[in-house]
Amino acid sequence: MAVRPVLIYPDPMLKQVAVCVLATDATVADLVQDLVDTMAAAGHSVGIAAPQVGDLRRVAVVDVSASKLGQQQHHHGLLEMINPVIIERSGSRVFREGCMSVPEYTGNVTRAEHIVVEFTDRQGRLRVVESDGFEAVAIQHELDHLDGRLFLDRVSSLKTDVFRRKTR
Amino acid sequence: MHHFALTIVGRDRPGIVAQVTEILFNLGCNIADSSCSILGGQFAMILIIAHPEFIDRASFGAAFQPLEEADLTVALRVLKAGGELHPDLAGEICMISVYGADKPGIVYHVAKVLGEKKINITDLNTKLVGSGQRPVYVMMIEAVLPASVSEQDVDTWIAPLRDQLQVDISVRTIPQVEL
Repeated sequence: MAVRPVLIYPDPMLKQVAVCVLATDATVADLVQDLVDTMAAAGHSVGIAAPQVGDLRRVAVVDVSASKLGQQQHHHGLLEMINPVIIERSGSRVFREGCMSVPEYTGNVTRAEHIVVEFTDRQGRLRVVESDGFEAVAIQHELDHLDGRLFLDRVSSLKTDVFRRKTR
Repeated sequence: MHHFALTIVGRDRPGIVAQVTEILFNLGCNIADSSCSILGGQFAMILIIAHPEFIDRASFGAAFQPLEEADLTVALRVLKAGGELHPDLAGEICMISVYGADKPGIVYHVAKVLGEKKINITDLNTKLVGSGQRPVYVMMIEAVLPASVSEQDVDTWIAPLRDQLQVDISVRTIPQVEL
């Protein structure tokens, strides 16, 4: 369909909470396709959420299959997620995250290593997917966008993690 | 625009950051990169600042005098053109944790290995913890590995220090992802 421009912070849209997609929303498939096209056009991107293209509906796509890290793990290929909700999370894993909407800044973020996410796919089927590692991190990063949350809100610094704790 | 490196150190207390940044704000200085932290009982501030008109130390006049009077040590370095630009450090990010009973030379010996292998340290923190009788030294290093160097290489190079210094060392890369 169309590659859309990716919004860059401080665009206020990126801090909005997106709204649930209604079952009667006939245009959501177009949005899903635009997200897939925009993600592909961005080259090394492994995911994008609707607010990043200026649409405040709870839709995100993730596809780690083309990335080096993704190829080292079991993954689910292209995930088209409408109204996604993480229903289980466990473990933790640190990645140095960057984001198309926050260029030139990266930060260490701790996220769940293992998640179970429930969503409706483009065909309207309810799906429940278990995901680990990089794919799970990518899903959590994109779903954060639906709540107006950027990775900057989750950065855990080395000093804070290790040294700021009182030793006695 | 000229850039300057400003460092301020003094006994920690509430209000240091406010006092320093009030002066900078009133001068019309921009704070670009900065890092401030408690080290021991001291608060240390390192800031890269810029001003549209200031060109040298004299431009600041006696602006920092109130800080000296408040028992803070102030140093200002005039940066050469381009000195404010962050180098493009391509490569894997590697975290190295080193810890064990305190003894002289922990930082030096680890840094020496990394320096010889042309591995750039981008962040380094150390802390003396544990009890007075059994002091434990903890060091965290973040480094960027050149393309030709793997996590395994670093571990191999550093491994002899485990015995030599009687410390525990772990090396791990942090995957960088653009999402």
